[in-house]
Amino acid sequence: MKKIILIIIYSIFWKNFLKIFIGLKYVNEKTLKNKKQFILIANHNSHMDTMAIMSAIPSRYIHKVHPIAARDFFGGSLFKKILMRYLVNATLIQRDRDDPNNDPIDSMNKMLKKSRSLILFPEGSRGIPGVMAKFKKGLGYLIQRNPEINVIPVYLDNVYKTLPRGKNLILPYNCSIKFGDPIKFKSMEMDDILLSSEKAMQKLMK
Amino acid sequence: MNKIFNSINLIPEIQWVIAIILAILVFATILFWFWNRIKPSKLVDEMQLRTKSWWLMCIIFLFASIVHPVVTYLALGFLSFLTLREVYSLLNLREVDRSVLFFCYISIPIQYYFAFKGYYTLFLIFIPVFMFIIVPFLLVLTGETKDIIRSMCILPTSLMLGVFGISHLALLINFPEMNSNGVSGKALLLFLIFITEANDIMQFVWGKIFGKHKILPRVSPNKTWEGFIGGVISTTIIGCLMGFLTPLNIWQLIAISSSMAVFGFMGDAIMSAVKRDFGVKDMSSAIPGHGGILDRVDSLSTTASPFFHLIYLILITS
Repeated sequence: MKKIILIIIYSIFWKNFLKIFIGLKYVNEKTLKNKKQFILIANHNSHMDTMAIMSAIPSRYIHKVHPIAARDFFGGSLFKKILMRYLVNATLIQRDRDDPNNDPIDSMNKMLKKSRSLILFPEGSRGIPGVMAKFKKGLGYLIQRNPEINVIPVYLDNVYKTLPRGKNLILPYNCSIKFGDPIKFKSMEMDDILLSSEKAMQKLMK
Repeated sequence: MNKIFNSINLIPEIQWVIAIILAILVFATILFWFWNRIKPSKLVDEMQLRTKSWWLMCIIFLFASIVHPVVTYLALGFLSFLTLREVYSLLNLREVDRSVLFFCYISIPIQYYFAFKGYYTLFLIFIPVFMFIIVPFLLVLTGETKDIIRSMCILPTSLMLGVFGISHLALLINFPEMNSNGVSGKALLLFLIFITEANDIMQFVWGKIFGKHKILPRVSPNKTWEGFIGGVISTTIIGCLMGFLTPLNIWQLIAISSSMAVFGFMGDAIMSAVKRDFGVKDMSSAIPGHGGILDRVDSLSTTASPFFHLIYLILITS
């Protein structure tokens, strides 16, 4: 049931809407086609980012892909929670790691162990367009615990212009979403992981 | 669906044009294929890419223009929309202009509705009179005056070229005077698009073969006097040969085709200057080999309205 809702919303509605009206171009989105499980890391400037990424995911396993969202921002009311759960397929996590029973890394890790895929915005929140903020360490912890999972960088080029921060009117703008190849990490050191994923993103930006 | 295809009622003239267009495409495809085999070069590769895109554009255009008029209106409206989107994506407008852009997009369905209903006066004044005043005022309402004059210039101009100009193509189709006494609006539409695109191609070909003296050296190095004059002459000849689509006599045909060639050149030059100012070669990469949508329709947006009004003048005075 959830799968059908998600397919109707993303693979049919958002995909065509973004392609025809917004002018979104999908670059190299076929790289997702034969991968069962992956972590997508993307730059984050607008709420459209999640819609754009979700619309590019093959409908076959769209129900197994969960965008990660901050609980303090999106989990305010029950209505919002239900919306996020069923219409965005999101997993809400705590932003800080103060509460050991509610560790965000643990909950993301659990999802991965259930062979789910994740969409992460490692910058932590919507940043300044065009400027890549330092990636948060959470990404590194996650990859250290699951070194076999494909990490695919996604760069959203100008997508934020269709819905900039603080605005609520979606307007057309020629933009593109670029998928990179899975990142190869030299070692499982925290610095190495963050550096190579940042480098992979910079490469896509050009 | 049946209703759409049942209304395909092609007069023999239009069948001829379709045959001519397909013959030209087949000829060009074979020519460049052989050329590429005998003497491959970068130019031929580009020409092959362009021809491929021409195939796609011709098929879409012919399909849209010969099925039900409503499809033609929707297709032309969508073309206006793509043009505006391309302009607004390139020109780096201020963030406060977003709400005004919304009204610019809204003006497309309104303008095409007027064209569809044949409300001639409303159609004529909606953008040059009303939107010309409303859009700057909406910009004022945003309250941000820094760089406002830039937006005040860009938005109405983009509407004039992208919506007002192109919508004249749609007005041709069922404007009463254009569809009576043996005059067919569809045939006129085909005639206009045929000579405009022929003019683009001819100016390009003459310029490539004989081009020496630059006509606009600081704006576009590809435009030459030889290309311009050769283009105007060959467009006039082509216009006379395609005259069976129109109710005009030979002198009127010469006058109309040569002025369309000049107007087409002007549109091309205007867009070249805009692109030069923004330091881009093409508006976007929507059509392989040609650049953006606007790189293809730039000349059309300046020929459509003069063509319509000249023909209208000729028809009501004769």
